[in-house]
Amino acid sequence: MTTAWFDEQDRAEQDRLEQSRVERALSTAWFDEQDRLTPEDLQTATFPLTRLGRRGYEEEPVRGFLRMVHAEFVRLVNERTSLWQEVQQLRRRVLAGDTDGDPQAVLFGQADAHIHAVRILSTAQTTADRYVADAQAYSSRVTEEARLRRDHIMQEAQQHSDMLLEDAHARAREAAVSALNLPASPQTDREQQAARAELAYLRTYSDVYRAHLRAYTEGVLRSIDEWERKEAASVKEVGQGHASHQSNGR
Amino acid sequence: MDVVRLRESFARVAMHGDELPLFFYSDLFIRHPEVREMFPVSMAAQRGNFVDALMKIVSQVDRVDDLTAFLQGLGRDHRRFGAVAGHYEAVGASLLATLEHFSGPAWTPELAADWQAAYGLVGSIMTEAASADEQQRPACWQGTVVAHERRSFDVSVLTVRPEPRMDYLPGQSVAIECPSRPRLWRYYSMANAPRPDGLLEFHIRLIDGGAVSMALTSSTITDTELRLGAPIGVLTLSQPPSGRDLLLMAGSTGLAPLKAILEQAAALPQPPKAHLFFGARNADGLYDLDSLEKMAAQHPWLTVTPAVSADPRFTGETGSLPEVVARHGDWSRHEAYLAGPTEMVQEAVTRLTSAGMAKDHIHIEDFGWSEP
Repeated sequence: MTTAWFDEQDRAEQDRLEQSRVERALSTAWFDEQDRLTPEDLQTATFPLTRLGRRGYEEEPVRGFLRMVHAEFVRLVNERTSLWQEVQQLRRRVLAGDTDGDPQAVLFGQADAHIHAVRILSTAQTTADRYVADAQAYSSRVTEEARLRRDHIMQEAQQHSDMLLEDAHARAREAAVSALNLPASPQTDREQQAARAELAYLRTYSDVYRAHLRAYTEGVLRSIDEWERKEAASVKEVGQGHASHQSNGR
Repeated sequence: MDVVRLRESFARVAMHGDELPLFFYSDLFIRHPEVREMFPVSMAAQRGNFVDALMKIVSQVDRVDDLTAFLQGLGRDHRRFGAVAGHYEAVGASLLATLEHFSGPAWTPELAADWQAAYGLVGSIMTEAASADEQQRPACWQGTVVAHERRSFDVSVLTVRPEPRMDYLPGQSVAIECPSRPRLWRYYSMANAPRPDGLLEFHIRLIDGGAVSMALTSSTITDTELRLGAPIGVLTLSQPPSGRDLLLMAGSTGLAPLKAILEQAAALPQPPKAHLFFGARNADGLYDLDSLEKMAAQHPWLTVTPAVSADPRFTGETGSLPEVVARHGDWSRHEAYLAGPTEMVQEAVTRLTSAGMAKDHIHIEDFGWSEP
C-alpha cells in the first residue's frame, strides 16, 4: 500500500514537472516585451534639428530609408511569429509523442488547416490588391497624359488663333494703307477715301480670317473622323475580346 | 475591463502591421464566405480603415462619451453595406481569433475577457444606432441617372432620381456606388436644395486614376442605377439663423454643397447677405459660373466672385482662393462655409481664424468616421 502511495505521489510529481516543462517550452522563444525597439519607434523617431544650417542630412532620403527599415522590421516580426508558432506546434506534438508513424500528421494537424487556409486566402487577397493597384496606377498615368496632351493642344490652338488674328489684322492694315495712298481723283473727297480704306481693311480681314478658319475647321474635322474611326475599331476589338472571354470562362 | 492591459495588448499586435487586418479578413471570409461580397475586390484601403478604427476605439475606450458618437455614426453607416446583427458576432469571433493568433503567450483568459467586453460594448452601440436608424429611413436608395452633362474637361454634372424620395439638409452628402465599380463608395454632395420633383444634382470631378469618378464622369452613366447611402454631414445652414452675413468659399466641385445652401437661403423670407467666391485652377474649371451669375442677377443679396489660380489669360481675380478672399477685406463678422480641396480648406481656416473669425463661425465638412 505504501509503495502504491509513493507510486502515486511520484507520478503526480512527475506530471507536475512534465507540465511545467511543457509550459516553459511553450513560453520561451517568445521575446521579452519590455524595452524593445518596435517598428513604430522607427517611424515616429524625431531628432533635433542642427543649428548650423547645412550640416544635417537631407530629410527625405532619411525618411525613405526609415520607411524601408520599418517595412523590413514588420516583415521580420511576422516571420518570427509564424516560425514561433510552428516551433510551438512541433514541440507540442513531440512532447505528446503523438506521431503514430504518420509524418504528415506531425507536420500538419487538423487545427492548423484553418491557419493554413487563412494564409492561402491572405496571399490571394494581396495578389488581387496588387493587380487592382497596378491597374489604377496605369489608368492614372493614361488620364494624366491625356490631360497634359489636352493642355498642350489647347495652348497650341490658342497660339494659332492669336497668330490668325494678328495675320488678318496686319494684311488688312496693308490693304487699307494702299487704299489711302491711291491718287485722289478731283471728285473724291477725303471722307470717301477713308471709307474706301476701311472697306478694304474689312474685306481683307474677313477674307484672310475666313481662309484660315476654313483650313483650321477642316483640320479639326479630319481629326474627329480619325477619332471616330479609331473608337469604332477599339469598341469592336473590346467586343470580340469580351465575347471570347465569355465563351472561355462560361 | 483593464484599459491599460487592453492598450498594451493592442500595441503588441499592431506591430505586425498589415498582417493583422489581413489575417482578420481572411479568417472572417473563411468562416463566413457570404460576407466577402460586402467588400470591394481590393481590400488594401479597407484594411487601413479597419486598423484606424480599431486604433481610435482602443485609444478612446475609457472616454465612452466621445467614442459613442463615432460608433453610432459607424453603425448607421454600415447599414448601406448590408451589415446585420449576425455579422457583428462573426466579426467579434474573427477579431478575437486574430488577436489571439498575434498575441502569442501574452494571450491570457483575462485579456480575452477584456477584448470580449470591449468588443461587446462597441458592437452593441453600433447595432443599437443602426436599428434606431432603421425605424426612420432605408439603408440605401436606388438612384437613376436621368441626365449627364459634361461641363468641362474633367467636371460632369449628374442629375439623379432617387427612389424613394430622399429628405436631406442642403449641404449634406451621400455615399454613391455605381454598378461598374461594385462596393466602392465615394461621398458626393447634393448641389441643390430638395426640389418638388425630388431630383438630385451631383458635381463630379474626374480624379486621375479615380475608379469611381472615372465611371461617373463617363457619358455612358446615363440611365444607370446607382446606389445611394443615407444623407450625412454637418455643413449646413445654422438653425436658427445666426443673423450674420455669409461668406462662402468653393474650390472646384466644392461648389456643390454651397450652391445647395444658397438655394436654401434664397427660399428664406429674409435671405442673409451672401458673398460666394468660386475658385478653380483655370477658367475652364469654373464649370458652373453661368448658373451662379444668373443666380446673382436674380438675387440682390448675393454676390459671386470667380477666381483662378493658374491662368494668365483670365481677366478676373487671380491667386489662391484664400488669398483672393483675404484681399476682399474684413470677414470677421461673417459666418463662413468652406468646401473644396483639403489644402485649400485648411489654408482658408487658418487665414480666417488668424484674421479674427471665431472657429464656431467656420463651417466645414467633417465625416468623422469615414473618409469622403
